[in-house]
Parts: sequence; structure tokens; C-alpha cells
Amino acid sequence: MSDIIIETRGLTKRYGDQVSVSKLNLHVKKGRIYGLLGRNGAGKTTTMRMLLGLAAPSAGTVHLFGRPLKGGEREILPRVGSLIESPGFYPNLTGTENLKIFARLRKLKNEAAIKNALELVNLPWRDKKLYSQYSLGMKQRLAIALAIMHNPELLILDEPLNGLDPIGIAEVREFIRALCDESGKTILISSHILSEIALLADDIGIIDGGVLLEEESFSELEQKNGRYFRFLVSNAPVAARILSDGLGISSAAVNGGHELTVRDPRLDMGEAIRLLVEAGLTVTDAHLCEDTLEDYFKKITGGEGIA
Amino acid sequence: MPDLILCEFFKLKRKPLFFAASAASGLIPLGCALFLPDFHTFSSGAEAVDSMMSSLFQMSATLLLMPALVVLASNLFFEEHDNDTLKNIVTVPVSMPALALAKIFLLLLFSMAFMAAGGLINLIILTAAGWEPTGFWRLFFVGIGQGILMWAGAMPCIFLVVALNRSYIISVIIAFFYTAVNYIFGTSDLFITQPFGLNPGTLLPGSLTFRWYFQYLDFSDPGAEMARLLERISSSFLNAAQAFGTAGMEAFVFFILIALVYRRQGRQKG
Repeated sequence: MSDIIIETRGLTKRYGDQVSVSKLNLHVKKGRIYGLLGRNGAGKTTTMRMLLGLAAPSAGTVHLFGRPLKGGEREILPRVGSLIESPGFYPNLTGTENLKIFARLRKLKNEAAIKNALELVNLPWRDKKLYSQYSLGMKQRLAIALAIMHNPELLILDEPLNGLDPIGIAEVREFIRALCDESGKTILISSHILSEIALLADDIGIIDGGVLLEEESFSELEQKNGRYFRFLVSNAPVAARILSDGLGISSAAVNGGHELTVRDPRLDMGEAIRLLVEAGLTVTDAHLCEDTLEDYFKKITGGEGIA
Repeated sequence: MPDLILCEFFKLKRKPLFFAASAASGLIPLGCALFLPDFHTFSSGAEAVDSMMSSLFQMSATLLLMPALVVLASNLFFEEHDNDTLKNIVTVPVSMPALALAKIFLLLLFSMAFMAAGGLINLIILTAAGWEPTGFWRLFFVGIGQGILMWAGAMPCIFLVVALNRSYIISVIIAFFYTAVNYIFGTSDLFITQPFGLNPGTLLPGSLTFRWYFQYLDFSDPGAEMARLLERISSSFLNAAQAFGTAGMEAFVFFILIALVYRRQGRQKG
């Protein structure tokens, strides 16, 4: 069987004249967490809706588990758990009652599956509290419980950390990571929060304006990301001249009067500091820095960061 | 499908509208028992049964069941949109026509239960008043049959409510307008004497049900007015095959339309 669990070919969605998703070629590998990163309105949710058959593509195809989704929904969708946009449940029922309804629809006869799912997201089993009385975080947890209740092989989670408090975010992040590492589940997760994707994802896809700009593994991304030296000195232009004359570093960039950055990996930082100090300059800070995912996102999308 | 229908029942839990609609099944029988002056002047148990069940057929089914069905339908069909649960159902996967069928089937069961409950409340009232419920069970099943006919008759109105999408207020207005039209048509000679065929007297539930159930009431000792009415309308009575065949076809056609519209709405939502 192919190593690719989700594959889209030229996936496109148009609403009238507006193109929401354009010729998307997405590849999600088995047993990995794929982070789909993009601004609000970039086309993440529309893509996920098409992956689940909730929206019909205007063009292109969706293949899940190596099979076309169209026409194969009955066999494919039971293997998928999903959370799309905001949680949707019946307000007049409790969390357990809500899950029981969907468990019955999924022909899950074992109540333990519901209980386990609730326990995993730290929600009480057979609680009397109605869904309408739930906090946003509890609603989100219940939606995650619904997604995992039937032990799916693939999870498609659209902004699953929305509405959670910091502790909850850490718990759910850890839990999602464990689902992948310990249970071998394949997870597609979307977010507009760079730091969350950076902490979770094995592979990253960057989507902007409905176009998938980049798709690669996080380790590849780290290798691509530039490293540079940053100095804070009493006189940056003089410091740049000293590094050029003394060490042959001609790529030093002066930012304002005191900041100097060098993108030359040959630089010996100790030697550089010694030369600057001997020349009578004051060095208040010297760091080896690395581009962040946000820097990379800015570079790729040609715009500002998103979070 | 049984699981889908059971789930529809579970969703009704703690829904005041459903309980109000169910409670309405007892309104007419209790009203008759408390306020009708002739309730205490029946000459026999058979007459008491006939009178009480006739009120159930003419008033409870037409004036209460029909709007209850339509308002309940609007609630059932819109709840998935309102609560954003459609995505959870579609990704199970459950098809929109299957979901619509489950909701329509729930309404059928509600309709039958509504008439059965009304009949049983009549039985309790009659028994408590000391009358022998002679001929009750035959009319009890006629009542359930009328529930089925009213359910089928409500389908065009349910289709309209689903097709217009949204707004409970519009649903309520449509329901009460349809109820009023049906009540008028069901009591008008012009419609109930129309020949069996493609005409309002056959197709509208008010007149259709009247032309079926009325023949089951006791006319062994009719007064002069009733005798004249029977003379005018008895040739227009419909047998069970005609009545249920017409209702079944109406239900089928309008179910297809409801399923198509509901599926289209589901796609738009997607």
C-alpha cells in the first residue's frame, strides 16, 4: 500500500468568480502529522471540507488511502475522524448523549469507546451538564472526542486548539502527538498559529490565497532556514569594517547604529569579539540566531507573519 | 435506517416543542369532556364513543395535528443547520436523503401516536364517566389511520417549509394557513363531494380523510339533518385503498422533493 494517505491532484474550489482553493497538490504521509499553515481565509478549511466530501471540488481529485474519495465515501469516511470549523452538537443533550448519537450512527456498540474518548480529552462520562452550558474549551474537547471515538486511522483537524486555555493547548498538543507516535495515526492539522504547528508537525504545507506555496518536512525546513550572527556594538559601521579587514567577512549588514548581522557561516564568533574589543568597541550582545517558522512564512508568502 | 430513526428520537430529549406538541393530543378530548354540554346526555356508550371520537377526528387531527406536524418538521429539518451538526452526520457517512427519510418517518410515528394517545384519553374519560366503550377499538384504529393520512397530507406543507428554508415564523404562518384551508375544504360540500381523481377534494388531506373516516361513525339512528348530509355525501366516500393509495402517492412524491431540496441545502452548506 502507498505511503501517502491523503493525496490531492489539482484540487480547486471556486465560489462564483472567486477561487478559494487553486490547483492544490497535497501529500500527507502515513503515520505523520502534517501541519497546514495559512492565514485566515487562505483556503485551509475549504481544503479540509473537500477532503471530507463536505464540499464538492470545482476541479481536481481527492484520494484517501489510495482510493478516490468520490464514490468511495462509504468505505473511506468511517476510517477518518474530523473536526471542521467550530464544534457542532445538540444543545439540549449532554456531552455523553451527543456522543452516543454519533456512536450509534457509526454502529459503535461498545459504550467503552465513548467513555475512553471522553476520558482522553478530560471530559466527564455521563455528566449532567448540557452541551449548551459548555465553555468554548469544553466544546472543543468534545469535538476532539467525537473525532477519535471510532479509532480512525486518519484525523483531519481544523484549528483544533481554538478556544482552549494554555494548559488545555499543551494537553491536547501532547495528546495529538501521542496519537501519532503511539497509535500510528496520520493527522492533518490546520492552524494559523505558527508556534503550534512548529511544535506539532512533522511535515508542513504553507497555503496562501488558495495556493499551496510550499510542502516539505519540518527537518528539511530547518536545514533550509538561514543561520546568522547578531552583534550589538557601540558602533556598527566601524565593527563591520573591522570584521571585513580582520576576518575577510564582507557580508556584514549594519542595521541602525548598533546592530550588525553576519550571514557567513565561516565566522568564528570568539575571534570576532576579540577583534572588536581590541579595537576599542563595546560588545553588549553576540548571538547565533536561526530563522523562525514565522520568518520563513514571511519569506514564502511575501507578507507579514500571522501570529 | 432503524439506528437513524432512533437517533432522531434521542435528539428530541428535553425539547419543549416536542412535549408541547405531544401534550396537544389530549387537549380536544379533555376539552370535550369538560365543556361539551351533551357529554352528560348521551343515551348509550356507543353514542358517547362515537361523539368523542368524531370530535377527535374532526378537530384534534385537523386543527392540532396538522400544525403540530409542520412546526415539528421545521424544527427537525432545521436543527442540523442550526446546531452545525450536519458535517458530523455527513462524514459518518449518512446521506441527506436517508436523514430526511428518518425525520419523515419520525413524523409518521408521531402522527400515529398523537391520534392513538387522543383515542386512549377518550377511552379513559368515557370509562371514568361510566360509559361502556362500545365500538371504541374500531374507531381507535380508524384514528390511527387518520393519523397516517394527515401525515401524508402534511407533506406538501413540510416541503414548502423545507424549500423556503429558515424562519420558524414563516413555518408557523404556512402551517396555520394550510390548516385553515384544509379545515374549510374538509367541511365544504363543494370539495367533499368531488369525484375521486385529481382534484382538491381528493388530494387535500382535510377532505380526503373526511371522505374515509366519516363512513366508520355510527349512523344507525341519524337525525334528519345527518340523514340529509349522508344522502349528499355517502356516494363520495372513499374506501381504504383509495384513501391510503392517494396519501401514499402524495407522501412519496413530496418525500422525493423534500429529499432533493434537503440534499441541495446540505451541499450549499458544504
